[in-house]
Amino acid sequence: MSINLTPNSIAAINGGDLNLKPLVQVVDIKQIGTSQERYRLLISDSVSTHHAMLATQLNDRVKTGRVKKGSVVQLIDYMCSDVQNRRIVVVLNMETIVLDCDIIGNPKLGDMTAQKTVSNLNSAQPGRSVYDNRGNMQSFRPAFNAQNPGSNNMQGLQTNPLLQSQGMQGSRPMLMVPNGSNGVLRSATGKNNNNTQTYAPTVQPAYQPPPSYRNQGPIMKNEAPARVIPISALNPYQGRWAIKARVTAKGDLRRYNNAKGDGKVFSFDLLDSDGGEIRATCFNAVVDRFYDVIEVGRVYLISKGGLKPAQKNFNHLKNEWEIFLEAASTVDLCPEEDGGSIPQQQFDFKPISEIESAENNSILDIIGIVISVNPSVPILRKNGMETQRRTVGMKDSSGRSVELTLWGDFCNKEGQNLQELVDSEMFPVLAVKAGKVSDFTGKSVGTISSTQLFINPDIPEAHVLSDWFARIGQNSAAVSISRDLVPSGSKNEIRKTVSQIKEEGLGRSDKPDWVTVKATITYFKLDSFCYPACPLMIGDRQCNKKATRSGTRWVCDRCSQEFDECDYRYLLQFQIQDHTGLAWVTAFQESGEEIMGYPAKEVYQLKHEAQDEARLSDVFRSRVFYTYLFRLKIKEEMYADETKVKITVVRADKIDYSSETRHMLDTISRFRRY
Amino acid sequence: MDTSNPAILVNGNLLPTHVRKRVRTVIQVMNSDRGSVIGKSTDDQQLVIKGSPPSTPLTRFVEVIGIADSDKSIQAEIWTNFGDNFDASSFNQLCQLANGEYQHLFL
Repeated sequence: MSINLTPNSIAAINGGDLNLKPLVQVVDIKQIGTSQERYRLLISDSVSTHHAMLATQLNDRVKTGRVKKGSVVQLIDYMCSDVQNRRIVVVLNMETIVLDCDIIGNPKLGDMTAQKTVSNLNSAQPGRSVYDNRGNMQSFRPAFNAQNPGSNNMQGLQTNPLLQSQGMQGSRPMLMVPNGSNGVLRSATGKNNNNTQTYAPTVQPAYQPPPSYRNQGPIMKNEAPARVIPISALNPYQGRWAIKARVTAKGDLRRYNNAKGDGKVFSFDLLDSDGGEIRATCFNAVVDRFYDVIEVGRVYLISKGGLKPAQKNFNHLKNEWEIFLEAASTVDLCPEEDGGSIPQQQFDFKPISEIESAENNSILDIIGIVISVNPSVPILRKNGMETQRRTVGMKDSSGRSVELTLWGDFCNKEGQNLQELVDSEMFPVLAVKAGKVSDFTGKSVGTISSTQLFINPDIPEAHVLSDWFARIGQNSAAVSISRDLVPSGSKNEIRKTVSQIKEEGLGRSDKPDWVTVKATITYFKLDSFCYPACPLMIGDRQCNKKATRSGTRWVCDRCSQEFDECDYRYLLQFQIQDHTGLAWVTAFQESGEEIMGYPAKEVYQLKHEAQDEARLSDVFRSRVFYTYLFRLKIKEEMYADETKVKITVVRADKIDYSSETRHMLDTISRFRRY
Repeated sequence: MDTSNPAILVNGNLLPTHVRKRVRTVIQVMNSDRGSVIGKSTDDQQLVIKGSPPSTPLTRFVEVIGIADSDKSIQAEIWTNFGDNFDASSFNQLCQLANGEYQHLFL
């Protein structure tokens, strides 16, 4: 069965027919583009060929093999424009009709003008072309400034199907430019009447408001209102567009100072009825126009904004583009009835159990019941600024609980609210939008500047959750994924021998390695086994910074305070050995006390005050040659010019012989004899 | 450490293969009498331990070392109290390994 491509479609496309929706064959696909990945197709109508650029939103069709060399496709939506004297066709939407097909007909490379890479298509504004009704192109370059490549200066000119098909006579030039209707057309169902061999395009063009031409000089602009399209269809090659969306988040007004001087900026996030989301940003003068207009929760009609690639560092919405509003942009408040189909917020909740496997620093939404709220603690940040930190325990029906860390303002506002609710035993539902996963101790979630918290939101997931909690959840135990579970046999444990630490180069990657080693203490370093520590409290923790002598008293740098008595905390250095080798490790207070069996202060007094060398060495000698299950944190650190691998004992557990035996039996059973 | 008279680690099932040899095992004391103790091996078999137990009271688990005189009894020479908490299943696995593929490590 041979397929007939739409005859003469190449010529028709070049002639400006954008409603043809022809069947063509993809003869070649080439990937070009420097910063952005672009594909260039060579399409044929079995007689002649032409180059066509693939719009980036269709890139994965090539990548997943839904379009290949030889594929017969129907071009649903495409535009034809001039860039630097070259006629460029851009495919905005297409359907693969036949995936694998031999080359049909005898096409020859008819288009010589588009040989060179068209990378400038990425940034340059396609110019307008003027076609007269006989299909001869007269290139026309209006003198608008090309300094705002992102802004949509192209007034959306729309084809009038009536005019087109009648082949209008007369000398009035017709202006035809991109028919940006790809967003609304959804021919993904691919319902073509395929009974006949010739596939006739059956997709209807979407409704476009009839063009209204203002008679003003040689240029006729279509002043009809732009069509509302889904946010997911927005792209920089779109003709005039409009979106109707609800504001889900409004950022703060930020002032900045850079090489160009002072400036101000603010952003807000939009959600439409199809669930598409996009961020819109305004700079300087545009901020003044819109900052007070935009309110969270209201619906707006936005048009004539520019589109640029989204900054993934700050913008966590699922859209590769961001809107830039400019002088010509319009933002109109819509009455609430209009926005009835647009949800207030869009969430993509992950069950808490999935956070365990989530990547560090990834952004996600979670919802859970708040079961505990800890008091706020002031934290000194790296830049010297102090901020508040508050942890909240949440659990959900996955049987897991997680620690949510609130930073800054969240502590006082939502944090306080949650505290009151939990105190009065009304365990609320908390929905978190855009929380950041951290793997500092186990896995936890923290707030970032763009996080939003919703207490007892009126959404179905919240109702399901509070229902679950009332019936089952409040009495069921949940496993916490935020505590570093260390009992032997825990799934987090990695067992190593002492020699493996060096052999495998543990600690050399950018994150510390946590391992468990069963080893015996063989030698203690007797000098400086402890240090004087600041006993003052910072929030719910002791400062513990090294204190320095000040006359008869002590002073702490961090607290900037003096005190009479200092605390003594262990900084034990000792050697551990197993059957493979030995290593030097350091233990701090908690594990130090476990190992020594005496508080650091007592041992210190033995050495310095009682000056009892004999007793001191007795104490240490009595603690040597004990075997422990050490939990070690191994990290490479810089000391002056050299890097050394530092091993810290986080925990020293006495051996539980029963479980250790079982562990060894298990290891033996997996041991292969060669 | 006196290695002149090694004893083979056995449980109930392995005892028959080492009759008339010096063996050692751990039993859970079920019944103690003058002259003999009935014990349960770590693989749930009933064994008779003959001989005189020490004067101190026996704990729940006892290790006995002696000559196996039948496939269900041991003439014990040494009795050692192993306390009341003992991981019988681990010991059982040890017996199997010691008589199986890792025999060469033990005797």
